[in-house]
Amino acid sequence: MENQEPNLNQTPQESAAPNQPSPQTGAQARKDSSAGRELYLNVRVLVTMMALFVLLFTFVARVIVVSGPSMQNTLFGGDLILVWSLGYTPKQGDVVVLTQESYQEDSIVKRVIATEGQRVDIDYDTNTVYVDGQALTEDYIKERMRLPGWGEGVNHVVVPEGCIFVMGDNRNNSADSRLPHIGIVDNRCVIGRGVLVLFPFPHWKGL
Amino acid sequence: MNKSLSGRTPWLICTAAAALAAAALRRWQLSSAFEASGLAAPGAQASVILLCVLLITGAWFILLAMYQPLAKRPMAPGQAHRWDLVFLDAGDPVYPALAVLAAFLALAALPVLLPVGLTQWKLYQAAIAAEVQPPSNNGMLTIATAAGALLSALGLLQMGRDGLRPGKRGRGGFSAALPGVAGCIWLMESFRAHAANPVRWDYAPQLLAIVCGMMFYMDFAGMSAGAARPRRLLWLAAMTAVLSALSMVSAVSELSALSAAGASIRCAQLGDLLLLLSQTLAAAGVLWRLPPNLENPPKPRNIPGAHPGRAQEIQEEPTHE
Repeated sequence: MENQEPNLNQTPQESAAPNQPSPQTGAQARKDSSAGRELYLNVRVLVTMMALFVLLFTFVARVIVVSGPSMQNTLFGGDLILVWSLGYTPKQGDVVVLTQESYQEDSIVKRVIATEGQRVDIDYDTNTVYVDGQALTEDYIKERMRLPGWGEGVNHVVVPEGCIFVMGDNRNNSADSRLPHIGIVDNRCVIGRGVLVLFPFPHWKGL
Repeated sequence: MNKSLSGRTPWLICTAAAALAAAALRRWQLSSAFEASGLAAPGAQASVILLCVLLITGAWFILLAMYQPLAKRPMAPGQAHRWDLVFLDAGDPVYPALAVLAAFLALAALPVLLPVGLTQWKLYQAAIAAEVQPPSNNGMLTIATAAGALLSALGLLQMGRDGLRPGKRGRGGFSAALPGVAGCIWLMESFRAHAANPVRWDYAPQLLAIVCGMMFYMDFAGMSAGAARPRRLLWLAAMTAVLSALSMVSAVSELSALSAAGASIRCAQLGDLLLLLSQTLAAAGVLWRLPPNLENPPKPRNIPGAHPGRAQEIQEEPTHE
């Protein structure tokens, strides 16, 4: 016997020589288009799609639901956002999804204020965040900052290599890098960048 | 490839070697490639080597599959060409034994996963009733995974039974679709459990193992549904075994950590371990039975219990090209 089918995905039927008469009778051919086979093919498509979706969500992009008010008025609780993971490196101003296990096991959504090597200074009296001495123009924050309940926390810091400083847009209701339990976040804790609000439709926008 | 390498031997040897290598590398990776915080050390030697080994293994199995000798499809009476007879072999207890053992391992996951899911569900409901922030996991997917484990066990038992009762008719592996579908639920549960984990090495191998397992079961089922892809089935079975072995090392490591911390090991990780072991045994059974029977499909005249008229009909068909 010789090796007939070098193609891994080729079915035996596909490899039959075209000039050979088919041994199938009409009844046998009908069997191959039976309800059982149709059912199998449909189930196989569903299983394959499920596998592809999960692999896509794992390695490329995923959809998450925002929980809590910390990113108002950019994101609201219940918003469905698309998060891009593949080859992403955090940049200043990006909305990112990250997990800081020292704070909680679930992921959180914040905005990147500064990246490695940058100095962050927060002045609550003037409602200003300085990065490398430059005041940020933050038209995205919900309201004027007040001193958090836990005190000033981390508010004068140089971001170490491979790390980011993040804050929520709702500064007065956000657990972020100012909170010592969270602090500076390692880049490797970032799951991806929020790129789009998908749902509800009135909130549909790019991030 | 030399024809002398045909049969089950190269598949079993290569799969066992690759599974052992992957498991050993994963152990090395767990001990050397992660920082105290649990984050993966960038460019760690163990991670790079493990990735290379997996890629080479995948490529090698493609070559093995491409050069797998394949007879002309056997004809089942009253049906179009089908491959389901290739799982039948009177007198060989290995394949049915592995399938039945895989079924019992899947069944063993049920009493592990169900209480975990029910506990999560009760905690979720309690949080809702107390009007506090509920936990992100309501336990439903864990309960569904437990139900899927029961479904898998039934499908695997039927697969083993079909192997024990050859020659009746060509229904072969259609019951394999049950663990394939159950794998979808398990895949969703595994993804949900790790969705917030930024360390992909912690869960990506398990997701890939489940995906390979699902696809392998579906291709198995396709053998009796007129949609056979025997070469891909062999590749998927081998990769299922290798990736499952790798993932089992992770699960054992997590269980050891839980045990050392004094926590109960009757948890989702134990359920994962049992299901991974189950699909590994099922894949081993396929690698044992399929290659020699693809090369020389069992002839119904040699199978006790085959219908005489039916056997005559099949004998008229050439079985080799």
